[in-house]
Amino acid sequence: MSATAAPTGVRPRPGSELSALALAGLWRMVRWLKILVPFAVLVAVWWAIKASGDFPDNILVSPLQAWRTFVHLVSHGVMAEYASTSLTMIGISALISTSIGVPIGFAVGVNRYAAHSLEGFLRFLQGISGIAWLPLAIIWFGFSHTTTLVIVIYTLIVPIVFNTMIGVRAIPENYVLALRSLGAGRMRLVTDVYLPGALPSIVVGLRLGMGYGWRALIAAEMLVRKGGLGDLIFGARTFGQIDRIIVGMITIGCLYIVVDRLLVQPIENVTIARWGLLRK
Amino acid sequence: MSVPAAIMRRPAHNALGRLVWRLLPAVPFVLILLAWAIGWAVFHPNKATLPSVGDVLEVVWTRARDGELGTHIFASLWRLLLGAGVGIVTGIIGGFIAGLYRNVSEFLNPLVVFFNAISGIVWLPLMIGWLGIGTALAVFLIWNTVFFIVFQNTVLGVQLVPEVFEQGVRALGGGRFETIRSVILPGALPYILTGIRSGLGFGWRALIAAELVGTPNGLGQMIFAAADYHRSDIIIAGCLIIGAIAIAMDRWLLLPIERRTIERWGLVIDATREDRT
Repeated sequence: MSATAAPTGVRPRPGSELSALALAGLWRMVRWLKILVPFAVLVAVWWAIKASGDFPDNILVSPLQAWRTFVHLVSHGVMAEYASTSLTMIGISALISTSIGVPIGFAVGVNRYAAHSLEGFLRFLQGISGIAWLPLAIIWFGFSHTTTLVIVIYTLIVPIVFNTMIGVRAIPENYVLALRSLGAGRMRLVTDVYLPGALPSIVVGLRLGMGYGWRALIAAEMLVRKGGLGDLIFGARTFGQIDRIIVGMITIGCLYIVVDRLLVQPIENVTIARWGLLRK
Repeated sequence: MSVPAAIMRRPAHNALGRLVWRLLPAVPFVLILLAWAIGWAVFHPNKATLPSVGDVLEVVWTRARDGELGTHIFASLWRLLLGAGVGIVTGIIGGFIAGLYRNVSEFLNPLVVFFNAISGIVWLPLMIGWLGIGTALAVFLIWNTVFFIVFQNTVLGVQLVPEVFEQGVRALGGGRFETIRSVILPGALPYILTGIRSGLGFGWRALIAAELVGTPNGLGQMIFAAADYHRSDIIIAGCLIIGAIAIAMDRWLLLPIERRTIERWGLVIDATREDRT
């Protein structure tokens, strides 16, 4: 945001390109510093707490110890294994729930009676978080990846269906009528009106679903104990390995931010910019 | 996530049409119940796998009568009240400070993004070690979930209040406090309430997840303990109660508050009213 402000202030005088470039670079550094300094302060506070109190390592470890554990986990490939399990799970779930949820949302959304009748039901389902079904899923599918997948897909699919439906219902009927009067068929309506009109809402649903789904995944992994980052941190608790728990938590946070910022948000920005619609 | 007005507008018809329109939301529930009842009667599955509708109703009835169900519900709601209460208060106060002072919000923003990403259940393993199993753990997890959502919405609301209004109050001689009370607070309220509503949604989820392993009682513990004995009737009953409480909270507590505030401050034309009858 602030990076764009700097170059505009600099007039492109001959010979000054270099200094303008340097200034832009400086601004970029300042921006990064702004992000990093708060974390540096946080780590300093953490270190101070550890150093001032008499905390044994099974209560709180030092940042250095956490870093060593991180390096150890990464270099032995343990972290990659746990992280890839979680990422694969959330990826598969996102794919399946989008490919099932969006068509269902469309089918329901085009009919006002169907949409009205399902609205309350979907709200009800949203009230029962995926994780609440975990005990039943464990009875049905055992302690397996299937259980985790079922829980995460359920968590993701409800907001996707709901928001797709809302998105389709929000399209002004005149657009549909205009195209129909010009002789457009049903398929043409879907590709030219419903899909572009509902896209921003679908993406909002996907993003909300990812927020719920990532947490449901971690929680499910904690209880199913078949790999994944949730398993890593919950398993570490049994042996009082606080360093592993903290490293796992940081990894979970970073991965979620990466997925959200690099995948979900760009999709959102593209759809909103492309179709020129504003989020609520 | 309230539905914009035009979307669910009921078609203006005769009395019969209106009645049908009103009964429509019940249709999916009735269909599922029918499918469940008929499916059960035809296939007769193992009761531990899928109980009959009657079993579930019966277990709700017996547990409600001996007071066990009430204890669990009360424990869960009490934790939600504590955690969400603290989360809302701290979130609003923090959000106002961050929203009013640009330096503070710029400093906090990266931390908020990070801690929001690990809010809630991710803290469970660490906090079991620090707080032990019990209410404190659940309350922490709910606070942690609710805080960031309310905080972020409050900051957004405070920052989005047009400066013209602030200047207006200042020009009329209002001080800092007066500006906050009569301009920024009402201006930010709709955002804060949206934050509270969605925060409670996340908080209720976090609570159920926390109760699965982190507390000796509560609805989450009730259904998780039932899994050990393959009592799927208790689990299904529990899930339905969890959903019903979430809906009831949203419809009868949060939605009316939101609507009243919006009416009171006259900020948004309340378009959702028509279909909320």
